[in-house]
Amino acid sequence: MIGALLLGGLAALALGGLLAAPRSTFRTGLTVQACGAAAVSVAGFLVLATGSTLGKGFTSEFAPRFGVDGLSGLFLGALGLVAAAALVFSRDYLEADGRGRTVAALTALLVLVLAGVFCARDPLTFLTGWELMTLVPAIVILVARNADRVARNTVFVYLAVTHLGGVGTWIAILLLARAGAIGDPTVISSGSGLQIAIALTALVGMGTKAGVMPFHVWLPRAHPIAPAPVSALMSGVMIKAGIYALVRVLVDWLGVLPVWFGVLVLALGALSAVGGVVYALFQHELKRLLAFHSVENIGIIVLGIGACLLLHTRGADMWASFALAAALLHTLNHAVFKALLFLGAGAFERTVGSLELDRLGGLLRRMPWTGGAFLVGAMAIAGLPPLNGFASEWLTLQALLHVPAFGGVGAGTAGAIALAALAATAALAVFCFVKVGGLVLLGPPRARADASAREAPWPMRSAVVFLALACAVLGLVPGLLFGVLAGLAPWSSDAPTTAGLHLPGTGSLPTIGIAIALVGLTGSFFFLRGGRRAAPAPSWACGQDLGRELNWTSAGFTKPLRLVLEPLLRPERETTVTVEGGVVQSVSYSGRVPHLIDERIYRPIARISLGGARQARRLQSGSIGTYAAYLIALVVVLLAVVRLGVLG
Amino acid sequence: MSAATWASGAVQIVGGLLLAPLLPGLVQHWKARLQGRRGPSPFQPYRELRRLWRKSAVDVEGTTAVYRLAPPVVAATLVSAVLLVPASRLAPNWGLGHDMLALAGMLALARFAVAAASWDVANGFALMGASRDLTISVFVEVGLVLAVTVPALIAGTTDMPAMVAATSGAQAWSNPGLALAAAAFAVVAIAEIGRQPVDNPDTHLELTMIHEGPLLEYAGRDLALLQWAGAARHWLVLVLAAQVFLPHPSNPWLELATLPLVLTALCAGLAATESAVAKVRILVAPRLIGVGAVVALLGIVTWLIGNAP
Repeated sequence: MIGALLLGGLAALALGGLLAAPRSTFRTGLTVQACGAAAVSVAGFLVLATGSTLGKGFTSEFAPRFGVDGLSGLFLGALGLVAAAALVFSRDYLEADGRGRTVAALTALLVLVLAGVFCARDPLTFLTGWELMTLVPAIVILVARNADRVARNTVFVYLAVTHLGGVGTWIAILLLARAGAIGDPTVISSGSGLQIAIALTALVGMGTKAGVMPFHVWLPRAHPIAPAPVSALMSGVMIKAGIYALVRVLVDWLGVLPVWFGVLVLALGALSAVGGVVYALFQHELKRLLAFHSVENIGIIVLGIGACLLLHTRGADMWASFALAAALLHTLNHAVFKALLFLGAGAFERTVGSLELDRLGGLLRRMPWTGGAFLVGAMAIAGLPPLNGFASEWLTLQALLHVPAFGGVGAGTAGAIALAALAATAALAVFCFVKVGGLVLLGPPRARADASAREAPWPMRSAVVFLALACAVLGLVPGLLFGVLAGLAPWSSDAPTTAGLHLPGTGSLPTIGIAIALVGLTGSFFFLRGGRRAAPAPSWACGQDLGRELNWTSAGFTKPLRLVLEPLLRPERETTVTVEGGVVQSVSYSGRVPHLIDERIYRPIARISLGGARQARRLQSGSIGTYAAYLIALVVVLLAVVRLGVLG
Repeated sequence: MSAATWASGAVQIVGGLLLAPLLPGLVQHWKARLQGRRGPSPFQPYRELRRLWRKSAVDVEGTTAVYRLAPPVVAATLVSAVLLVPASRLAPNWGLGHDMLALAGMLALARFAVAAASWDVANGFALMGASRDLTISVFVEVGLVLAVTVPALIAGTTDMPAMVAATSGAQAWSNPGLALAAAAFAVVAIAEIGRQPVDNPDTHLELTMIHEGPLLEYAGRDLALLQWAGAARHWLVLVLAAQVFLPHPSNPWLELATLPLVLTALCAGLAATESAVAKVRILVAPRLIGVGAVVALLGIVTWLIGNAP
């Protein structure tokens, strides 16, 4: 039954992809795709809820096999949910011209490939899906941007980084397959060199795909320039494939990992979380800012996985499963609100024509539905009660707090530092999304286009409102999902399945009670506040007219933090004062916060590799005689080697 | 529910909702005395609330629901937060739980509402205050979470009544970890309630204020709600200081009886600090709170070493 639903959904996706290609059936094709995605989502969540498995189990053999279990079900559910909203959104977002139709067809392919990764049960299918998952968005970006210079450059960086990092995935999966350990945690002994090698290569390879710092450099480049629905799929689901693979390998298949490895995972998570949100704060383009927030949220998820590994090592299996559930819940939550924010950004871009934060403003009044939903998404990603981000961030905080509670000075200190990092991340995310919400939605229009912005057509509107509702529902009853997710840990655990989060060792989080209290009290105070008001008055600016020049900018709002973090961020600024005849004619100021990982790590590497390539080019003289000499030299060397018996 | 639980619940509600304005009133009163002025009576905040409640509010032109909803949201989160923080080790279940980290989330929501309203009025002074408040909040959040980790580790839970119980008596103080956490909490508390040396609650000079800035565009009942919320914040922070980070008796009745005395003493302490220490530069405040966070981290490490298996 569930299997039929899943297969039907996948078939509908494929059919919809084909239908979206001709102009006459473009809209129909997208609708069929959206229905298919919805079916996939329902099937995935049903598998998760019923605890059943479909199809075959894992194998280390290289023969295509497919199957679905609880973990795959969760990721399929998230994929379908995000894809359904993104596809409904696409109906009006994509033009029915050649480019739009190609993107629509490729979207179906991307969803199918992602579903393939989540359902793969053998190394061959998994690795094939893994590669296609990287390539399809690259094609979408090139098609959508007409392969302009920026797009080509971005796609090159994207492919280069994900493939260099992706080697780690190949090594990890192939080592696992050779040991016959795919799907079987008992094969590889704990603490063995093989276990460490697999864990480290998996962390690099899958971490690159997930966008973990410092392997994230492709992400803030590639996500912003894709079309909004594809950005939503990439940020919402594609990078989560990295998380899916990490959970499979580190938690499901490798047994008990050493303490230092858990600490390493925590360190990478903390770096991604804090680094992602700090750089997000200083971005001036909405989609690029959102892309950096994906790095931040991946960091939060990785912190949960790290806590799970450490707690499992210390034998605290119950809290280890809670930590895993926290990470997985945040994975789903992030998929929902990040898709919402990217789709919202797409809607703004469509009507305003720009996503420069300092040129947006006052859109909440012009676009109450899209703007309101965007505000809900901003509050959810900032981790504010009573929305879903709060529930999963609270769970991750609790998981990290229980790392020191289960002993060990080293691991405990690492847990405490990670806890501090997550607390800072949460506060910085509030800072960042106040800025985003304020600049985009509130205040006066900052550019002429804002004043004439129009509410998006209903398919786009309904997609974002649907996702905003999902944020609210997931925030109201996180416990229903949490109990099931804790059960996905390979060791036994029993988490209570209630609407709220009532865990031992916490003060419990009755989410429904908190939501009722907050909403009810706000309503009563609003009522108490009464209707007695004087005539509206302008905002106070010392008697001046609050003109355009007095508008606050993104850089101005974040300046105190930039000054405080100056020793860490090394911002650059340049002030030029033109003086003529002792009178200042003009002052120009420019400042930027450089991305240090880009400039201090990747740029030197790129420079050295280019230098190396230049050296290597000398070998390529172009004359046939030289090449013949190379061949003869090679043959002679090989003969000598054989003669000496080195090859045995 | 025992009589002590009832009494504790009553103290929580009456104290947090009704008596909270007395706390900033007392601080102002004593501060004036220490500075050789007669100063306002401790009941001055109530008079201000009454005056504001009777006045009509003024909406700022061109604002949205975000501006109008901010005061009710702030007041609602603060009422919920008052329900979260118990007055003693016994606390009735108000249906919101008593989780320490949930409290941090509530305070973040209040901060978000006020800062978003600042963008809505698009006023430079409001935004200046909001951006400073959010900058400092990053460090406050870190300090707060680290400071409460030590009592949470002692209690084995983040449930606040259990934390109050676990830190009562002398046993909890045998490890210096709690003392270090208390020192950190002192810094965090001052920043959270916006007092010197982090913020000066008396100033209305636009260029120096932090917490007052975003309130500039509010009047009437809106301002009354926000001012009450500021007072309730004093209650939350000072009750936590008294019942977790200071030595307190283990009998719930004694706890409730000593609470008013300790709160009064803490207000006197705040008045003395405000008279003795000047407000630091805005960019120095994060460093100050950062030092507090490091002290709290030391407290955690100390506790871990003391309790290593």
